Amino acid sequence: MEQQSVISSAAGAWSDPTQPIDLHKRRRLGESIIRVSLIAAAFVSVATTIGIVLVLIFDAIKFLIRPEVSLWEFFTSTIWQPQILQFGIFPLFNATVLTSLIGMSVALPIGLMIAIYLSEYASARARGILKPTLEILAGIPTVVFGFFALGFVTPLLQGIFGKNNVEIFNVASAGLVIGILIIPLVSSMSEDALSAVPRSLREASYGIGATRLETAVRVVLPAALSGISAAVIVGISRAVGETMVVAIAAGAGPRNFANWPEALKGLNFLNPFKAAETMTGHIVRISGGDISYDSIDYDSIFAIAFMLFILTLILNIISRWVVRRFRQEY
Amino acid sequence: MAVNNKRPNGSFPEGDEFDRFVRRRQRVGKTWHGLFFAATLVGIIALAALLIDVVDDTFGYVAIQSNIPETTLVMEYNKVRMLNAPRTLASEDDQLLAQNIGARPTAIGFFGYRFYQKNAESLTLLSVDGVQPDEQTVESGEYLLARPLFVYTSDAIIAEKNQVAAFLFYYLNNVNQQIRDIGYFPVSEDTLTQAQDAWAEATGLTASTVENLYPVTGDVQAVGSSTVAPITQQMADEFARTEGQNVTLTVNSIGTDAGIRAFCLDREGDILDASRAMGAVDTDACAAKGRQPLEFHIANDGIPVVVSAENDFLTAVTTDQLKQIFTTADNWSDVDPSWPDRPILHFIPSGDSGTLDFFVANVFGTTLEEQDPADLIAMLSANISSGRLRALEADIPLANRTPEDLVALIRAEVVKPQGVGSWTLFESIFKRQEIAAEVAAIPGAELKFYSWLNWNFLTSPQSTDPYKAGINVAIWGSLWITIIAFLFAVPIGVGAAIYLQEYSTGKSRFDQIVETNINNLAGVPSIIYGMLGLAVFVRILAPITSGAIFGYGDPSTTNGRTILSGGLTLGVLILPLVIINAREAIRAVPQALREASFGLGATRWQTIWNHVLPNAVPGILTGVILAVSRAFGETAPLIVVGVATFIVVQPDSPFSKFTSMTAQIYQWTSRPQAEFRHLAAAGIIALLVLLLALNATAIILRNRYARREY
Repeated sequence: MEQQSVISSAAGAWSDPTQPIDLHKRRRLGESIIRVSLIAAAFVSVATTIGIVLVLIFDAIKFLIRPEVSLWEFFTSTIWQPQILQFGIFPLFNATVLTSLIGMSVALPIGLMIAIYLSEYASARARGILKPTLEILAGIPTVVFGFFALGFVTPLLQGIFGKNNVEIFNVASAGLVIGILIIPLVSSMSEDALSAVPRSLREASYGIGATRLETAVRVVLPAALSGISAAVIVGISRAVGETMVVAIAAGAGPRNFANWPEALKGLNFLNPFKAAETMTGHIVRISGGDISYDSIDYDSIFAIAFMLFILTLILNIISRWVVRRFRQEY
Repeated sequence: MAVNNKRPNGSFPEGDEFDRFVRRRQRVGKTWHGLFFAATLVGIIALAALLIDVVDDTFGYVAIQSNIPETTLVMEYNKVRMLNAPRTLASEDDQLLAQNIGARPTAIGFFGYRFYQKNAESLTLLSVDGVQPDEQTVESGEYLLARPLFVYTSDAIIAEKNQVAAFLFYYLNNVNQQIRDIGYFPVSEDTLTQAQDAWAEATGLTASTVENLYPVTGDVQAVGSSTVAPITQQMADEFARTEGQNVTLTVNSIGTDAGIRAFCLDREGDILDASRAMGAVDTDACAAKGRQPLEFHIANDGIPVVVSAENDFLTAVTTDQLKQIFTTADNWSDVDPSWPDRPILHFIPSGDSGTLDFFVANVFGTTLEEQDPADLIAMLSANISSGRLRALEADIPLANRTPEDLVALIRAEVVKPQGVGSWTLFESIFKRQEIAAEVAAIPGAELKFYSWLNWNFLTSPQSTDPYKAGINVAIWGSLWITIIAFLFAVPIGVGAAIYLQEYSTGKSRFDQIVETNINNLAGVPSIIYGMLGLAVFVRILAPITSGAIFGYGDPSTTNGRTILSGGLTLGVLILPLVIINAREAIRAVPQALREASFGLGATRWQTIWNHVLPNAVPGILTGVILAVSRAFGETAPLIVVGVATFIVVQPDSPFSKFTSMTAQIYQWTSRPQAEFRHLAAAGIIALLVLLLALNATAIILRNRYARREY
């Protein structure tokens, strides 16, 4: 239709040489409609964020203004026990930090070493085999890792450290498996960063007599630091938000402490072989039953989720800032 | 000087020191090279361990205990039918049976072979299914009513007790001379030689050195089959008589099954008489108790079916005819019209006899599948309460049910098999003997190798009985949810990608917000999307997602926890992923194509629709499939949105309650019983196979439309 009209108007112009040819941009209704609907599609993603923020803030505030809850208690109490109306975020937060720390202490060194191996050492053939294998690991659903943590890693830990020392549900097992889960993420992002370092830097390093190790660690690694830091932060963010592994393997109740001295005594709160429930694990357990709206439980998980969202948002923003701030342009 | 600032004097090393310096650097380099490689291996080992762990839990032994074992149920039913058939004489006295049959032209019966031999002139031996019992057909098992007979002992017993070793030597060398008199068929020379070789290997003696064992004294205790006992007894008598050794045999005839239990588990007896070979499970149970069985095949049994020599119409029968003759048929003509119209007279061994059991097991079979529907109905009716029977009749009349249905019904209502133990694959392989011994100690329990991933698992809904539970409903739930997520995320995601790549200048405020926002969304934990879904789709949009405004469902019971809510939640979750992947694909289309299109006067949308998108489709598809497989593997958001904890009906609309494969796996993993862990493992394999299929499609697409070189 449109094409035909273009031709006919042009023909009209040619037929009458006294009229100048109209070269103005034509208004096309169809094009405008399409453009607007595409903008609308792009807006859906913005709406998602707005939706998340509104929903979380709205319900979190509803939770915090309840008479049973005080903001002070929320941040300072060491007990999270909805049955007796004790809502201190610390036990859940502590478990999240603990699992993430254990996870990162596995994923960071191993992921980074894999990245260095793949980018600096491996032959093209070895890379062709190793990379897809690691990608398979990244594609396995997290519930499978939960199964693995409970059925394989926990018995393994119990075998190593003794059945009496390691509870069936424990933070160490969940943390280790979260680490395994994040390895492919850290390694592939770090490898991208390492591969982006130009060849000339390596060649210059070899030229002044450095070994491959020295080149990799002292030249390439620092040059790729911004990308690697981003990988680490994204990894932490992933560990903090990981749900199924902790829901299955870490424990089905918060690790509460009567008070702060109790928590700090003998570094109780850091014991990795005891059960503890993370923020995500708690949300899953509470919402797993048929939770009724407007109950204090319902509101409380939104407050936890809000904390989680803020936490991961900050991590994501830092990661992008790090990349922008420290990126080296070659 | 700057090369190595660790050297205090600041000089470059020379001579030997230089060599050491170089070697040290090489060594450090190699060490770290190894470490980097080891780290890579750790990742791969973790993957391998995970997959092996899943497989380990999917297969393995299970122990099944039944209310009434199926074999017993079937055999007792048929035995009673035979004994209660009209004109039946059941007697322990085989000679009496033989004489009676011989005297009556319309009689038929069976008994031990020995009594056929004694009365051969007054009897006619019938062929069964065209096979006459003789040494060859009995040994090869071609004759229907044939079975091998064994004696067992163990290495340890032979080593410990000289009298047992000496007796068995005599037994194996002389059994063939005696066996016909006792009433059984001899085994072939080869078989017997094998048995003798086994004896020689176990004792370390040969025929010439067997004298070293003598003189022997003491007891030999035999336990087990009453069929084999006469042979062992006879051989013991002969041993004492001809060799003059002071050995006494005590025989405990308790039957083969009880004998195996006594011999293996209770370590009773020196010799086990058995009328069937020990299975692998029995052997393992024995070995676990320190009695590695040593098997000697010493004879064959074949039951003759006979009629009187005066009978002029019968020389051959078939299995089916035997079934009728001994149960339902009154007259010979009922079985075959060409036979006389005269009543059948039955002469059979009595109910306690092993011979009758053997006949019943071989002619009528031991499994429910081999029985006729009428018999199945009779078995069912006799074993359940009349109330239950009426309920079943009211559901579908028994007469109208298929045989498969009836068999399943009997298993569920009468046999009632129950799992009493389960083991993983590695346990099943490496602890076989312990498991066999453990299960043998449970009365009526039967050990079998089981795959938790089976057809029934894939086609059944959830159940509280792990042996009946399946993942079917969850598979359909996952498919529905994924399709809805796909339908939501793909048009919107690709649209947004087109906007960002083809229209956006990246300079306006809106464009920058969208850009930042997509990157942020990709980093939001999936459980947060679940919260969004719970608050928005489940709660606020409940009238739509529950289908109430479309007239679906019962408004009083429905809520927003439906497939639609789950699908939309996952759709929102994979949206950033789709956008990022689609953008990548669109960006890869060369600018020259666009410019050529614009140059010919095409509008922006014409350019996109006719040139950019067709070239970007393979890339977009690959990205979309990856995003979809992410949705397929998600668990946490679905649980938050509200999967049903226990549903057994397949979803039939977007407004159905749902569960997903991942949620089902989570629920099974959370149960403490080992059986549910096996189910979870089977579910994981099914899930991974489906995911693999999805990803393989992506790879095939990518290769098929391999990126063009521009």
